[in-house]
Amino acid sequence: MTVQTQVFNTISGAAVQATSERFQEPEWLRLARAAAWENFEATPWPSYKEETWRRTRLTGFKLQQFPLAISEAAGSTRRQDLPAEYLSTLNQIDSAGALVFEDGRLIYAELNSEFRDKGVVFTDLRTALQTHDELVRAHFSALVPARENKFAALHYALWQNGTFLYVPKHVVVEKPFQVLVHLSAGKAAMHHTLALADENSEMTLVEDFTGAVDGMSDTVAEITPMAASRVHYLRLQNLDNTAWNFATMRTAAQRDSLYRQLQASWGSRLSKVWIDLEMEGPGSHGELLGLYFPQGRQHIDHHTNQNHKCERATSDLLFKGALNDRSRSVYQGIIRVWPGAQKTDAYQKNDNLILSAGARADSIPGLEIEADDVRCTHGATSAKVQDEYLFYLMARGLDRKTAKRMIVQGFFQEVLNRVPVPGVRTKLELEIARRVGLE
Amino acid sequence: MTDILEVTDLHVAVEGTEILKGVDLTLQQGEVHALMGPNGSGKSTMSYAIAGHPHYEVTSGDILWNGESILGLDADERAKLGIFLAFQYPVAIPGVSFANFLRAAVSSVRGYKERARAEAGGGNKVIGSELMPMREFRQELLAKMDRFDVDRTFARRYLNDGFSGGEKKRGEVLQMAMLEPKIAILDESDSGLDIDALRIVSEGINKLVADGMGALLITHYQRILNYVKPDKVSVFYQGRIVKTGGPEIAHMLDERGYAWVEEELAQALA
Ligand SMILES: Nc1ncnc2c1ncn2[C@@H]1O[C@H](COP(=O)(O)OP(=O)(O)O)[C@@H](O)[C@H]1O
Ligand SMILES: [Mg+2]
Repeated sequence: MTVQTQVFNTISGAAVQATSERFQEPEWLRLARAAAWENFEATPWPSYKEETWRRTRLTGFKLQQFPLAISEAAGSTRRQDLPAEYLSTLNQIDSAGALVFEDGRLIYAELNSEFRDKGVVFTDLRTALQTHDELVRAHFSALVPARENKFAALHYALWQNGTFLYVPKHVVVEKPFQVLVHLSAGKAAMHHTLALADENSEMTLVEDFTGAVDGMSDTVAEITPMAASRVHYLRLQNLDNTAWNFATMRTAAQRDSLYRQLQASWGSRLSKVWIDLEMEGPGSHGELLGLYFPQGRQHIDHHTNQNHKCERATSDLLFKGALNDRSRSVYQGIIRVWPGAQKTDAYQKNDNLILSAGARADSIPGLEIEADDVRCTHGATSAKVQDEYLFYLMARGLDRKTAKRMIVQGFFQEVLNRVPVPGVRTKLELEIARRVGLE
Repeated sequence: MTDILEVTDLHVAVEGTEILKGVDLTLQQGEVHALMGPNGSGKSTMSYAIAGHPHYEVTSGDILWNGESILGLDADERAKLGIFLAFQYPVAIPGVSFANFLRAAVSSVRGYKERARAEAGGGNKVIGSELMPMREFRQELLAKMDRFDVDRTFARRYLNDGFSGGEKKRGEVLQMAMLEPKIAILDESDSGLDIDALRIVSEGINKLVADGMGALLITHYQRILNYVKPDKVSVFYQGRIVKTGGPEIAHMLDERGYAWVEEELAQALA
């Protein structure tokens, strides 16, 4: 190892510059990285005095301990040569295309030629920077700026690679685009997701994050459903239970668009996930679905924002979590209705099922309404599996474990019913079944 | 062989308060025993105790199945013996479809799980192998829905979720028909039903009794006894059975109310 490699795999200002040099990045990106690093350094470390960090402490988290996962040149593999676990994940979904990343390195890419011919771009962000420079430049960091939060700043300073998906006007792709992001042990990785659905197009993006044993994932996702488009974004966080996970996501829904997002937060020792839905165009409809099922001492924190900036937009949020052992969840959500955003219809609900006396779920819903002709509803519940339910099922011959499993699965069904990709739904059901089995 | 459920000098406490104060009862297959008693007298408590509800503590006495105590058995094990409780207030379980739930229950009660385990020989188990085959189950479910006059849409609906009172009771009868118990305790399966629903529920019970099921018919009213003919009628009062006889007892209760029972008891004590 040379001195130089040691520099660019640490989390440092030198690594920021080294990354730009390594990839011979254009000037705008070099500047953006440098500015993001400055921002990162200038932003104080999260403190419990900030509302968003009040219930989530980063005790034991030492940023400097993680060497940066640095992506090498893309190496392409044939599908059949992929490791069995990737292959089986890919095979769960009948997709229009697939990308597989290992530590930021794109190791496999495929795209149905029919959609390639129609102008669909589905590739890694590094490649897109070469082939679709203007598109990337126009949208990269446009929704989530580096100053968004300290982890977004870090992300923009040191990101290595990511997903780029563009579906042109009027092109409808019903099958999902599938992305696997695998992170190796003990490193810091920053995957970026940039998805653009042009006017009146349709896309479904499924991203699956795995690995990061004792590592850290710091992601940003920017999704733009343009006018009258239909976008589904399914994010499956299957990281190892020892991973630290930070994610900042924002979607800006344009006029008459339809957006549906699912966040399934299964893994990580600690997750801090911000999900922002910006209703920017009249007639748009946005849905945010969330699932979590922590166990052991996992800590899962979701902070959502339904931001109604325009009139006649609707949004609907449903986050459901079951908690085992000594796990903890935090749900913080706000519906903001801007002045003039009349005829807003916004809904927000967080339900928690506490499966163990040592588990705890905090739910903090909120409303900020500055228009008068609106309908906003929010609610939160927290309950245990009631003995009366268990007894009813057991009196029909189900053993205690099966009865409990049914009740927990039933609890999640309301979200599962709304998951638009059957292969993903099955996968989620299996994960839930697996977690209910662990007691 | 005829299965027999016996309750002997049963005392049951809930949260430290004694509710049942020495119940004696025998019920065998093919027999209908009506149990009438005022609200709060402990009829549901007895039902729960027999079905094995963990909150209902048996402080003395016994519950016997063919002469052997079942007090040590959990509710699911009692269900597997062939004991069924039609709940007075069935709970709603959102997200669990009637059909999925019932398939799991039927499979468990009919021993598919044990068979699958034995066949796997402790090796890898195949998902779904512990369940009754889907096609067979569906066929039987549809046939029984028709036979017991239950709408076919029940199968897809979530268990008791958004069911009307009458639908819940009909759902209980359908479950009973599928689980084919030896002995069923029907806790006010008639209350809250209009005359059509009452007829359907009663006919369901009659069919199962004709097939050999024994029924303990807990009720407030004489009304259901016009449809389901009891072999015996008992009066339940303040935590015990105070009188047992033929159908004439039900008519007496209907005419004279529970005051009659109180008078008789007072006289007996005097
Ligand atoms: N889970 C319970 N907790 C406390 N008291 C109970 C409970 N269940 C029943 N009871 C009490 O036991 C008595 C008998 O109730 P119940 O068995 O429901 O009577 P019935 O079914 O004859 O109307 C009542 O006084 C009731 O308040
Ligand atoms: Mg009762």
